[in-house]
Amino acid sequence: MQELNHVGPSLCVKFHKEFVYAAYGPYLQQYNYKTSELLNQCLIFKENKVHGFDISADGKNVIAYGARSVSILSLESINTSKSLVDREQLVEEWVITGTFSKLGDKVFLLTCYNRVIICDLKCNVIGIKSVPEEKSILYSGSIEVLSEDRVYVNAGTVIGGVIVWDLFCESILHTLQGHEGSIFYVTSSDDGKYIASCSDDRSIILWDMETGEQLSTGWGHTARIWNLKFYDNNTQLISVSEDCTCRTWAIETLNSDEINLVQKNIYEVHQIKNVWGLDVCNSEMIAVTAGNDGRIKLVDLLQATRYGNENELFSLGDISSSANVEFSKDELIKGFEWFSFGAVVHTSSGQLVTYNRQSFSWSPIALSENMESYSISGGIQSKNTVVFSNNKNDIILIRFNSKGQLIKLAKHTLEYLAKVTNTMIKDIDDDTFLITLESPNPKDPFVCLIIQNDTYDVNAEHRFSKPSNFVSASLELYGNYLLVGARYSSLGIFDLDDNHRTPVVIRKISAGDTTTSVKFIEKQLNIPIFSITNRDGFYDFISINFDIITNDNKNFYDIIHQNKVAKGFLEGAYFNDKNEYIVYGFKSTLFYIFNETNSYELASQVCGGSHRQWKLCDDGLNKILLYNKGSNIYFRRISQNFTPEVLRNGLHGREIRDISILKEKTYKNGYLFCTASEDTTVRLSHFNNLNGTITNYWLERQHVSGLQRCKFINDEFMVTCSAREELFLWHINNESLDRAYIAVRQSLPTSTENPDLRIMDFDVKFLESKKDFILTSVYSDSVIKVWYYNFASNSFILLMEGKYQTCCIFNVSLEILNNKLLLIITPTDGHVIVYNITNCIPFEVVPGNDYLRDNKLEIVLSLLPNHDVKFPVHQSSIKTICTFVDKTDNSVTLYTGGDDNGLAIVKLNVENSTDKIVGKVVCFEKKAAASTITSVNLFNNNTKLLTASVDQIVRIWDVCGDKLVQEQRKYTTTADTGVADIVRLDNGSDIALIGGVGLSIWKL
Amino acid sequence: MGKRSKDKRDLYYRKAKEQGYRARSAFKLLQLNEQYHFLDDPNLKRVVDLCAAPGSWSQVLSRKLFVDNKSEDDSGKKIIAVDLQPMSPIDNVTCLQADITHPKTFNKILELFGNEKAQFVCSDGAPDVTGLHDLDEYVQQQLIMSALQLTTCILEKGGVFIAKIFRGRDIDLLYSQLGFLFKKIICAKPRSSRGTSLEAFIVCLDYCPPKDWVPKLDLNKSVTEFFEGCNIKEIHNNSIITKWYEEDRDIVDFMTCGSLDAYDSDATYHIDVKDELSNDLLNVSLNPVQMPTNPPYKRALELKRKGKLTRSI
Ligand SMILES: C[S@@+](CC[C@H](N)C(=O)[O-])C[C@H]1O[C@@H](n2cnc3c(N)ncnc32)[C@H](O)[C@@H]1O
Repeated sequence: MQELNHVGPSLCVKFHKEFVYAAYGPYLQQYNYKTSELLNQCLIFKENKVHGFDISADGKNVIAYGARSVSILSLESINTSKSLVDREQLVEEWVITGTFSKLGDKVFLLTCYNRVIICDLKCNVIGIKSVPEEKSILYSGSIEVLSEDRVYVNAGTVIGGVIVWDLFCESILHTLQGHEGSIFYVTSSDDGKYIASCSDDRSIILWDMETGEQLSTGWGHTARIWNLKFYDNNTQLISVSEDCTCRTWAIETLNSDEINLVQKNIYEVHQIKNVWGLDVCNSEMIAVTAGNDGRIKLVDLLQATRYGNENELFSLGDISSSANVEFSKDELIKGFEWFSFGAVVHTSSGQLVTYNRQSFSWSPIALSENMESYSISGGIQSKNTVVFSNNKNDIILIRFNSKGQLIKLAKHTLEYLAKVTNTMIKDIDDDTFLITLESPNPKDPFVCLIIQNDTYDVNAEHRFSKPSNFVSASLELYGNYLLVGARYSSLGIFDLDDNHRTPVVIRKISAGDTTTSVKFIEKQLNIPIFSITNRDGFYDFISINFDIITNDNKNFYDIIHQNKVAKGFLEGAYFNDKNEYIVYGFKSTLFYIFNETNSYELASQVCGGSHRQWKLCDDGLNKILLYNKGSNIYFRRISQNFTPEVLRNGLHGREIRDISILKEKTYKNGYLFCTASEDTTVRLSHFNNLNGTITNYWLERQHVSGLQRCKFINDEFMVTCSAREELFLWHINNESLDRAYIAVRQSLPTSTENPDLRIMDFDVKFLESKKDFILTSVYSDSVIKVWYYNFASNSFILLMEGKYQTCCIFNVSLEILNNKLLLIITPTDGHVIVYNITNCIPFEVVPGNDYLRDNKLEIVLSLLPNHDVKFPVHQSSIKTICTFVDKTDNSVTLYTGGDDNGLAIVKLNVENSTDKIVGKVVCFEKKAAASTITSVNLFNNNTKLLTASVDQIVRIWDVCGDKLVQEQRKYTTTADTGVADIVRLDNGSDIALIGGVGLSIWKL
Repeated sequence: MGKRSKDKRDLYYRKAKEQGYRARSAFKLLQLNEQYHFLDDPNLKRVVDLCAAPGSWSQVLSRKLFVDNKSEDDSGKKIIAVDLQPMSPIDNVTCLQADITHPKTFNKILELFGNEKAQFVCSDGAPDVTGLHDLDEYVQQQLIMSALQLTTCILEKGGVFIAKIFRGRDIDLLYSQLGFLFKKIICAKPRSSRGTSLEAFIVCLDYCPPKDWVPKLDLNKSVTEFFEGCNIKEIHNNSIITKWYEEDRDIVDFMTCGSLDAYDSDATYHIDVKDELSNDLLNVSLNPVQMPTNPPYKRALELKRKGKLTRSI
């Protein structure tokens, strides 16, 4: 068993030169933080995670520690070796922290019982220091080395505050009392002036190191705080917390004796509560954070101030004096566009001014038209063109030269429209662009003008009959088709080649409001795919077959992907050069740009919200957000990452509860897989089967409760289930190579409107058609249901219902044995119970096959029959099962793993003479693990069984001849080990994905 | 999910309320006792409940010693409860607010007992869970080691020790260590403890310390130092740091406690299953049994209520 890749908790991160070193599981990783390249990964400990490390002042040595392990290594060897585990040492007590002495020739290790072990670089103990009568357990601590003989220890206790003691004198300097509850972190400023601590009480206290006086308390975090760090010459403090934010605090001296901790900034950095690692690079003013989600995140601490030009603000007064124009007293800014030369701004009295980005100056534009009634409808950057329209059906087109001077103006009027309420612009090619015009009168046509760019003449005019209930909002052009996003989550399709053709409208694409953007993404077998965003936060990918398009045929389009952003309104989206989906929109008064693929915020700006005038424009490789407030205009430059945003992407914020590999089809040198997590999300990702590299595609947020299960039921469908009676049937589309798509096709009906049952597990058995199937779902109130899924009508029909007892059912399996359809459950009472449901379903078991046949029998609701067999196997809950049907001897073999540490082989047969189902335990291993067995998986033609258990040992058993013979065992760093899935590669080797708090990919 | 649905799912919670217990944990102790009967012994006189807040185990102990096993003369009986958190008073229970990992705490307990020994020590201690699984499990095990330290100083030969454990990656190390002090060790899971949690209880029967080892509390020694010398924890190579070695591990028997017809703590129960539950049980008021009297983050909660702690500046 060999580990190919691991994603999981990272507990400590540090800048050193141009690198970030990260403690990642049992490894130390070296990244170039400018490129995010992983330069080396070195295994430090056999089993323990690296919790922290320190680099000596001369940069030569590293002390790494984690749990009871320590290792003193040269930095050079960490940069170049793959493994240094043979150097691992074990300490009698948990190591809280480790530091080098001033000269770097000794290390100090603080243990959880407030002892400091002094040892040389070979780990030979030189001395043990402590203070009398203070050996209660610590949660945190730090060692401050001020000089060779001045070393202080800050010990964070459970109830007694922070004990500050002098290492060499072994005497207490201060007992800092002021917090409530356990101290979770304590640190000193490196000038020895301050101590900062945080505790269960959610506050940060700044202490005077000299006097022990409490200087200031910082309130702000809404949950526990995990790490603190002084930076910027000890004038600032940074904190990370369970509230998922990272905050910066200024240490402000009000007058000589009053020092205050003032909260300055808040950054959302992780998707989870458990953020442990934190460091700041003072020269670059960037922070790095790491936590249980396995993400290593860089945070620009100067996000909106780094270059000084991020925020520009001009009042009309500023513009007036720069451009030498007069504005009236109540003049407002009405519209704006951004071009390579700068901005074009239109005011309420119809004046036009341009901003030159080179000279930072404003110039007036002399106009031959009175433009007071107009407003800006849009612009085309590549053509330096702005389009204006008014409600009198006039359009004005203006072109600027590269210096921002007006060089052309044209006007068109469409008299036949009652009034124009919406005008949109779209570039076509080098020579042409188009304008759409919409009138509120339903009888008026929806108009599209094709404009010749050089002359601004109208090349063609298309008048389409306007669909009912249609209010346009966004635009895309695909060949001769105009795609118009509209209110009520609709999309209108207009054929520019045929004005008489009735426009086709796709309605209610998602539950939401207005379609805010439509964008062509790619073609799949010649069928185009569009990304569609909705103001309410939904986004969809929809494939449209224009060849078969009509209003009465719904089959011409398919929603192949659907999801909703975590929070806020959605205004648009695009893919970046790394194939990551970037969305933007508003969260109340905040404009945000978010990396949806890997789920982190890229930038945000307080700007007043979406009802204001705003525009996000390209500015070379960067973006610029223009918005106004009254008579002020703001330019906010959002530059391309100064550094990469992340050094490593994580997977989930909490435990992975299930993993399923789409085994039927390889995808790009590997496989697609899904992970279902306690954090209520489902991720679709890919792993490369050579090196285990993981690429995330989507983080699906349809579930509102913690997931229980996910499983690909064939090559195109997946099912997930969770609490609140949620069970979704998903359809996978893996035809594209850039990414796979996934969309919920149907959800299982719930028993009440406000369901609070958990669906614990499900299983399916397909009908001959391979599209229809029956599904059984089992619930936390002991209920068992069987459903029929009809693909054509896309519906679930209840076939059977009943209750086992009152206990919770953890697992269910449907098996065909001897022409019987068996429903097998394993509840918390440790029994295996088998129901013969052959006669309760309107389908026939086909001899010798593993599917059911639809003989068009009448569908009626039946009751769960009495069970055929029931027998005890485990003492308490059966946590996991897997099955194997042996057609040669007509038996079902069930492998069960229990909460009682036991592993069993159970056999079910049909007794020939009586045709009765009988079952018995044929093998039981009482101590198969030191803790709960959470996953059993057959592999290698059902001859081997892989078990995962909470003791973090993965075991492989030979199961031939119904015996359990343990063949291999290997420790996994993935804590709360809960699930595994295995795929056999063409070359005959097996790859296992093992999940818990993180995910490991192993070659078996 | 309101209170109602929590109640619906958690019958033990309702039952606790009905029977006047401060926490549903009471049933864990009761179910353990159903299996091992350590509290039904009429000779049970002195017990220590470590990590006892809010106090439902102490309530069980108090009822067992002073009501169920009431004798002519109860004057020799004593229950001491210790926790970091303050506890509201319970009849016949002496409460102590202290850290059980602090050696001074044990001095106080020993003083309270005078020269007498106890027959039963329990610890339902759970540390502040941080989300760092290995640390949480380690601290949990240290709470047990602290409890065990006291136990060795105060428990009668043949006495019983039980403690909450989390069955994580190093639980087999603990099993192996306890094996040196007790004749029988079982890992027991009461049905009232959720199947989805790693929680279980280590039941150590028949205390029997190594012959040549005299436990001695020393305020200057930590728990790990205390056990040095007893072969439960041998100092490897006589050094506090030593080359990594494979430690002794042991798997013990597993036992589920509480009868099969006891409520399943993983199941969702319906209010309409009247026949299985007394009406009273379903109609008890839905307020929490007992809130923590004084959580450390009380001030933060107040500030939050006033809108002073926010996500934006
Ligand atoms: C699960 S509760 C105990 C519930 C209790 N058995 C009952 O039935 O009410 C765990 C307790 O352990 C306590 N605890 C944790 N660490 C401790 C320590 N070092 N010293 C004393 N008590 C501690 C906590 O304060 C908490 O009240």
